[in-house]
Formats: sequence, structure tokens, C-alpha cells
Amino acid sequence: MQTRFKRVMLIDDNEIDLKINSKLISLTKLVDEIIICSSGDEALNFLNNQLENKKLIPTFILLDIQMPEMDGFEFLMHYKKLSKSITDNCTIAMLSSTLDFGDIKKAEANPHVIKLLKKPLTTNELLALLG
Amino acid sequence: MSSSNIRVLYIDDEENNLTSFKATFRRQYEIYTANSASEGLKIIQSIDIPIIIADQKMPNITGVEFFKSISKTYPDAMRILLTGYTDIDALADAINHGDIYRYIQKPWSDLELHNAIKNAYDAYCGKIDLRNKVTELEKTNDELNRFIYSISHELRAPLVSVIGIVNLVKLENMYNSSGEYWSLIESCSNKLDYYIQKTLEYYKNNKSTEELTEIDFKNLIDQLVSVHAYTDIDTNFSVNVNQKVVFKGDYFRIEVILGNLISNAIKYQRIDEPSKKVVINVNVDEKLVDISINDNGIGILNEHLEKIFVQFFKSKVHHGSGLGLFIVKEALNKINGHISVSSDTDSGTTFTITIPNAN
Repeated sequence: MQTRFKRVMLIDDNEIDLKINSKLISLTKLVDEIIICSSGDEALNFLNNQLENKKLIPTFILLDIQMPEMDGFEFLMHYKKLSKSITDNCTIAMLSSTLDFGDIKKAEANPHVIKLLKKPLTTNELLALLG
Repeated sequence: MSSSNIRVLYIDDEENNLTSFKATFRRQYEIYTANSASEGLKIIQSIDIPIIIADQKMPNITGVEFFKSISKTYPDAMRILLTGYTDIDALADAINHGDIYRYIQKPWSDLELHNAIKNAYDAYCGKIDLRNKVTELEKTNDELNRFIYSISHELRAPLVSVIGIVNLVKLENMYNSSGEYWSLIESCSNKLDYYIQKTLEYYKNNKSTEELTEIDFKNLIDQLVSVHAYTDIDTNFSVNVNQKVVFKGDYFRIEVILGNLISNAIKYQRIDEPSKKVVINVNVDEKLVDISINDNGIGILNEHLEKIFVQFFKSKVHHGSGLGLFIVKEALNKINGHISVSSDTDSGTTFTITIPNAN
């Protein structure tokens, strides 16, 4: 199996869930580095800053849907306008504590999103996505 | 509204009638008159008039014809016909179609006409009041539903964090470090989560309109079985799906219905049963899908069979939430499905449902 450097970005406004999910991810030992962003804005800023120096581009993003100001779907609108050099090597899974049928459809329709997951995140789901 | 503010329009081609009507009623009502249907229409278009009186015999258009022509555009106005001769056919037709509220014979008696206007106005107010009440009720209902939804969401978000923490505790091998405290926290959290998810299912069933998608029952049932059976490895599932035709239906509701029934079939097993089993048979044809879910579990007492679909009904021995089957029934009602149950405490329970194929 290809052992590519794995860098995961977590975007969630909920501090506790950020803590839980980053801990869970580090326990799987599948990931080399975790970037934590507490808003869509912060994540976009981070990504834009990597344009020159491509070192810190994430390979996988876990994106919460329900966030104040910019929600997960709004983030995706901005995300798809980013340079291909960033988005081409990165996949996104969305997270939500309540799965709305409309959200499922919307997420599935987005080419960047590979899965919509219901919180709490489990190790098995993570293994399936990152393994 | 005092009665002098009640607006009444009278349309008649005979000026004398208009004058005498005005003279008789101007103290009691706010009177508008027009000497032709087209003049009358102009008034209706510019002012809100609850009561319209028209003469049947007018040069270009009869009173009945005029009322018919405005019954769609001004449905609230109460229409009273004045007629000098008895044109029974036109009258009967108009009354049967609901185009006129009353008819008064000419020459009118002041008292009779006065009473007719008064009654018409009462009926008008009743109609408006009822509509306002309905709008108000719909709004309250809608708000209540949205409230339930957002509360459920807000409640679930932190609860999910708690469950996530318990998962971490397990992963880090600390689950048994504090006696049974962690497992108690876990079972309480799961119970609360179950209630919240049922509430959301109920809300979504009430709220959303039927959305038709193609359903592959083998796929759906396999998914549901794996979701619900992950806590229970003892139960042996046998799923037989006979689907040769395309089935279209409401995916969300069918998923809710089958999910609840499958989860019940697992939950209400006999603890000491050595071969716990659930048999699911599905038969799809052009008209409908027929699904039976049979278990060899604890069964349902005969006297409980009628109550199991009632909201918050729980048996004394086995504590369910009293929501699962209620939601099943509600969801089936929305998609014109049917459910029947047969059960006894010796051999277990069979639920049979049919859902029409919308393809």
C-alpha cells in the first residue's frame, strides 16, 4: 500500500468535538498531522496561505455542517474556487449531529464530498475513510 | 365593527329601486349603489365589500350570471339576489352552485331584506374568523414543529460529544477503570439519544412531503440490519427479497418504518432463546410491496395488540419508549401503507406491511 503523508484538517465550531475527533484520529495512528480550525473562515485562510508553500496542504478534511456564520455547505462553495493544486489531492467528509435527508442529498451531490457522517465519529468509519 | 360600518353594495338598473334602498338602509349600513353590473364590478374592485345585492333582471347580464362571474375572484363576499319574478331554474342552479347566499322576492319587505343582510354579515364574519383561526393554527403548528426540530438538534449536539468521549474512554482502555460508572453514563446517553432520534423521525415524518425515489429493498434491508444488529451478534437474520420490478416510494419513511420494526425484532428477543432468529420476506410487484418481519421473540400479549400503535404506550414488563410503533403507523399513514400484526407469547411476532408502488 502506498504510504503517503497524511494530513487531516478538522473544521468545527465546537471545541469539544474538535478535541474528541482529533484524539480519535490520533489514536488510529493513520494520520501524520492534524490541523484544527474552529471556523470555515479560519480554514480558508489557512488553505490560501499554503498556495506558495505547498507543504501543509491537507489530504483529508472533516467538515462540520452546522456552524455559525459560514456553515459547511458555504465553506464548500468557497473551497471549490480554490486553486486545483490544493483541492486535487484532498478529499472531504462532512459531519453532522443530525442527519437531514436534504443535507444527505446536498452532500452527495457535491463532487468534493465523499461521505456524510453522523456524529459521533467511530474508529471504523475513520478506518474506512483513511485506511 | 358597528353595523353602520358594514358595507353593502346594491346593483340594479332601476334607479328608483336604488334610491329607495338607500333611503331605507342608509342609517344602518354604509351603502354603495350601481346601476349596472360593470359599475358594480368597478366598486368591488376598489373597495372591500362583504355583502353584494343584485337584481336578477338587468339589461346585459342577469344577477345570477354576475354572481357567477365574481364567485372565484371575490369568494368571500356574501351574494344576495333580488328577483321580481320566479325564474326557478336559474335560481336553483345558482343556489346549488353556492353562487348566492339568499334570494329575496321583489318587491322586498324591509324587514326581510334587513334580516338577510344581517345574517349574511354574520356568516361573512364567521367565514373570515374561521380562516384566520386556521392560518393562526397552521402558523403555531409550524412553529411548534420547527421548535421541536431545533431543540432536538441542540440537544443532540452536546449529547453526541458525551458519546464520543465514552468511545474514547473505551479506546484508551479506561472503560472499566471506575467500576461501572462509564457503562452507566453510556447507557443513559444512548437512551437519551434514542429519544431524540425518535423525536426527529416523528418531526420529519410530519413535516416533509412525500419524495419518490427508486428503492432496492435488498440493499435497504441489508443496510438496516447491519446498523441495528451491530450490538447483537446472536440473532440470525434471514432476508428473502423477491424484487423483479422497479419500486418507487418515499425512501425516508420506508427506512424509518423498516428500521423501527427491525430494531424491535432484535430488542424483544427472548434472553434464553438459543437460536434467536428474524425472518424478513419481501415481495415486490407493480402494485405494491408486501413485507413481513417475523421473530421468535417474547411476543405481545393479546390485550396489548390493539394498543401497540398508540403514542407512549409501553408494556409494564418491557420498557420501550412508546414511540417506535407509533412513528411506524404515522409514517405508513402518510404514504398510504398498511400494517397488521399477529403475535403470541409462545411463538413470537409477525408484522406485515404493504406499501403502494408509485412507479
